[in-house]
Amino acid sequence: MQVDVPSVTTPRAGIDERAFDPLPPIERLGRLRGDLLAAPYALCTQKAESLGEYLEGRSRSAFARALQRARWRAYRWALGRASSGGARPLWVRPLDTVLRGVDRLLDGAHREPWIVELARALAYGLERAPLAVHRGELIVGNLTSVRLGAALHPDYSGHLLAPELRGLSTRAVNPLQVTPEQIAALDERVFPFCFARSVLSRALLAQSTPRLAERLLDGRAFVLTQFSGISHLTPDYPSVARRGLSSIAAAIGRELQRFEATTPSKRQRLGTSTENEDGRGSPGQEQRAFLRAALIACEGAIAHARRWSRWLALLAERATSEGRRTELRELSQICRRVPEFGARTFHEALQSVWLTHAMLHHESFQHGISFGRLDQYLYPYYRADLEAGRLTRARAVELVGCFLGKAAEGLPLFFERATEFFSGMSSASGITIGGTTPSGEDATNELSVLILRAYDQMRLRQPNIHARFHRSSDPRFRALCYQTLARGGGIPALFNDAVVVPSLMAHGVAPRDAADYSIVGCAEWGVPYRSFPAAGAAFVNVPFALLLALGDGLVAGRREAPARGEAEPSSFDELLARFRERLRDLIAEVVAANNEIEAAHRSIRPTPFLSAVVGGCVERRRDVTAGGARYNSSGIQAVGLADCADSLAVVEQLVFRERRLSLGELMRIVDANFVGHEALHREIRNRIPKYGENSERSDQLARWTVRLVDEVVSAFRNPRGGRYLAGFWSMTTHQGFGRRLGALPSGRLAAEPLANGISPTNGWDRRGPTASLLSAAAIEPRHIANGCVLNQSLDPRFIADEAGQRVVDGLVRGYFAAGGAQLQLNVVDPAVLIDAKRFPERHRGLVVRISGYSAYFNDLTEAMKDELIGRTLHDCSCGVGG
Amino acid sequence: MNPATIFDVQRFCLHDGPGIRTVVFFKGCTLRCVFCQNPESIDPRPEMAFYPERCIECRACLDVCPRDAIREGDVERIDWSSCDACGRCAALCPAEALRQIGRRVSASQLLAEVLADRAFFDSSGGGLTLSGGEPVLQSDFLAAFLPLCKTKGLHVLLETAGNYRFEKIERLLEWIDELFFDFKFPDSASYERYSGSHSRHIEENLERLAARQRPRLTVRIPLIPGLNTTDDRIDAFAARLRQLGIARVALLDYNHLWEAKLPRLHTERKPLRLHRDQVARQRIEERFRFHAIGVASN
Ligand code: SF4
Ligand code: SF4
Repeated sequence: MQVDVPSVTTPRAGIDERAFDPLPPIERLGRLRGDLLAAPYALCTQKAESLGEYLEGRSRSAFARALQRARWRAYRWALGRASSGGARPLWVRPLDTVLRGVDRLLDGAHREPWIVELARALAYGLERAPLAVHRGELIVGNLTSVRLGAALHPDYSGHLLAPELRGLSTRAVNPLQVTPEQIAALDERVFPFCFARSVLSRALLAQSTPRLAERLLDGRAFVLTQFSGISHLTPDYPSVARRGLSSIAAAIGRELQRFEATTPSKRQRLGTSTENEDGRGSPGQEQRAFLRAALIACEGAIAHARRWSRWLALLAERATSEGRRTELRELSQICRRVPEFGARTFHEALQSVWLTHAMLHHESFQHGISFGRLDQYLYPYYRADLEAGRLTRARAVELVGCFLGKAAEGLPLFFERATEFFSGMSSASGITIGGTTPSGEDATNELSVLILRAYDQMRLRQPNIHARFHRSSDPRFRALCYQTLARGGGIPALFNDAVVVPSLMAHGVAPRDAADYSIVGCAEWGVPYRSFPAAGAAFVNVPFALLLALGDGLVAGRREAPARGEAEPSSFDELLARFRERLRDLIAEVVAANNEIEAAHRSIRPTPFLSAVVGGCVERRRDVTAGGARYNSSGIQAVGLADCADSLAVVEQLVFRERRLSLGELMRIVDANFVGHEALHREIRNRIPKYGENSERSDQLARWTVRLVDEVVSAFRNPRGGRYLAGFWSMTTHQGFGRRLGALPSGRLAAEPLANGISPTNGWDRRGPTASLLSAAAIEPRHIANGCVLNQSLDPRFIADEAGQRVVDGLVRGYFAAGGAQLQLNVVDPAVLIDAKRFPERHRGLVVRISGYSAYFNDLTEAMKDELIGRTLHDCSCGVGG
Repeated sequence: MNPATIFDVQRFCLHDGPGIRTVVFFKGCTLRCVFCQNPESIDPRPEMAFYPERCIECRACLDVCPRDAIREGDVERIDWSSCDACGRCAALCPAEALRQIGRRVSASQLLAEVLADRAFFDSSGGGLTLSGGEPVLQSDFLAAFLPLCKTKGLHVLLETAGNYRFEKIERLLEWIDELFFDFKFPDSASYERYSGSHSRHIEENLERLAARQRPRLTVRIPLIPGLNTTDDRIDAFAARLRQLGIARVALLDYNHLWEAKLPRLHTERKPLRLHRDQVARQRIEERFRFHAIGVASN
């Protein structure tokens, strides 16, 4: 089977003017929004408990179960010590090894291959997941068992949260409601049976990454994310909507038959006896197990949808109003049809996509699972309904609004430290609209417009909406984007086809696929529906590597990497060469660790259901975690680009051009945080041109750094046979890294945040927005395979009217014409942010753009709030005065 | 060719003509308006400014001044009578507390600076605005510079106060797309009183420019509360504009932020302590409309 569903890109037959007509607020959406803003954040342990229950049930004896509990207690104790700063006692590791051995002896070999067990566990969970329909909803299906929930996934790294569980509902940032029963259940019935087979434990125990635990916890050099879950891809939702899961299941069944027919039966009879610990067995067995598991998962999903249909019918009978009864009945009919079978109407298609999306989140922690080009693949349904008179534009907006409301229900679960690196509780699901057809015509359609208008009525922090612009974008669509942005919220983010498409092609994507790109998560461009880009796999602190080069392995007096006994570099080029070496070493460490995690995914936490809906896996008879998707890559984000370029500029000027100081002298001053050298500090800050001021040298150095990162990163391969790709966006890791990092030669003081994405350091771009945009445009996008983020704040007073929006159009198109790839605009009055920091309760729905995603201002860490206030104050006072 | 003396190049300006613009501020003016927004623009020569709040007392400037013009610790750091604005102290000051205002640029240098934002001019219908000071005083420079701008297809807008002989501007007109003419008082007496000059040239230039088809002319009136905003002043403005056949006027709100600049500079000027008055603005607009003079929104 070739790529089953090329995305349906319909050329624009001209967007009907009526799509732009003023639309009064839709009451249902207003109520839905209010309910969502009022709902508390809570921890969901439903999946965890059903998984624990399933695995406990599979355990062979009471003795084995007791042993597993004992092992968990020892581990929990060590974890508690580690998270409160204590050293890990020496005996924990040997004890663990012994317990692990005994455990394996008693319980190791499951009766079924592990992937099949996991598929069964998913079906078991879906069978028991509570079904809740909230007031007025027209799209149903829940990511978790609570309205706004963060699901704990014990099969990944959920147990990291164990020491924090009791304080979860009272912690300062992003508290989550949790009950004592939940905590007890996790401790007694979940963690003991899951943690040893969790991705995190597996990766930590791997021989090739002995320092991983330490590095992971200190969060100074890099952050890894994939131990928390599968992340950042766009499933083949178009296919699910069109064919339905039953057709996918049938294809799996056929594949299984074909497999049985061609594989010697002898191999099959070997059963589980030759399996390794993970139940994977020989390649043939792995394929067969995968197909069986995918089939079980699809069947579980179909059963879940049928349950929904029955439940909705029941609710309809109990409904108090006639109107709601009809709606629920209709929903019950829809769920009887989809996602089991192909959708026939727009409503069915939306419901099909949503329920599949929701069920995927029961399988694994899913960060940045995106919807792809929703306006393209849903358009045929929309058009047909509209023409048949089954649908009005207002009703379409209402349905899309309900869909967006559902997508705002998911929260990621972060343990406290992670909150700092990923502030804002974003699940980073992206919807891409606009763009071109494969042949280059404008693909923006009425649905692109209506999706934006539905967002305008909802104005929740997620999902992310990404708009693709190109030379012949409908100007009315562009204007609508600006109007939507003018009311705050930072949505949509804007992408430049003219730059992104060639960038993808430069990294080996076929032209047709490149033209069909969509955004995964925050900013990562890639081929949707048949890729596993793992785009958010890691974040690297690039200035850290630079400091290693500058200090021969010492950072702020502490030995972070082996010394090479090098003398002072005799030239700037020599220094750059050393930086290259240090960066390569650091990236190699990140790659080794991430490879370990990806290997653990494959062995311990394959995701058969996800694989059933990612193009390529069934044909290749491989799980996504084993490289089943058509395109495979992993993303490493370089954080601190501006800091790096600025530091290089300073070192070059002071040490190599003016020869005022030796490198050692300069670094002693830097390591002392410039104390006693205030004049030099001022001089560096004021007089040496910075990235963002559009000065030739600093722009060159930024460009050089981007090229270097790309060259170093893309030389590595992941276990799925794909490349590593470099991205330049940071979420809030620039805060987390910054807080742990000493001063830099750039003049950035210790503990100050690093610059985010490809933005200049806050407040250092003193020549106004055009200059900072041009600095960013000077970076070559073909070296940015995994996306980049540039923030620009604008004063709402200035974008409010039509003239202001024309200026914004000028800024955006000027930036794009100069070679910029992506831009996100935060239109917010700094005074409002300052008020919101003092009086959070007055600003519940205040949505701000962070870094590739939006968040409620109230959900941010204090440091991130301050950064945003600083950013807007600076940008809003700059230039606009004229 | 002689270089120009300018005191700033500001990018991303939105209120000095259409679209996104870069404004070049020329130094030197023949008027002495008591309400001048850019007091540092008046003297045609480079001058120094001191920002006491930025100074970190590193004392580097004390040693470098060849004329011993720097006094320690003083809020008025520079002894203006001995300073010749050589700029050495500013080149050294790490905190940018001392700054030289005014630099000389050649036409090609200036062109390169302006062209930096070319992409944004094209995308927004913007371009270059000449402001000051009075740019036309550097007519010789502009006569060489503007043709260069036109070969690059830049949209050029000139902001002028009109106090010079017409020949100075006449030879520039073919290179200019748009003119903003600041018309401050409807009578010569007020010009003499508040701007330190009679208005003979101004009146004549306005008349001659108004009579031409091109460049497009916008007359702007900077509102100075009380000085040119009383009803009789507005009536007189309107009468004069009607005479000139001008049916539309742009009003500039008063902005007192310039007063903060005074203590940093070598100037005798005093703050006026006037404040913008929104209520008055509405009355003024209505009065212009009553006289059938439209008010452009800005
Ligand atoms: S050089 Fe600058 S910072 Fe130092 S004392 Fe002089 S004015 Fe102050
Ligand atoms: S500009 Fe020259 S003369 Fe004037 S204070 Fe500075 S160094 Fe002295």
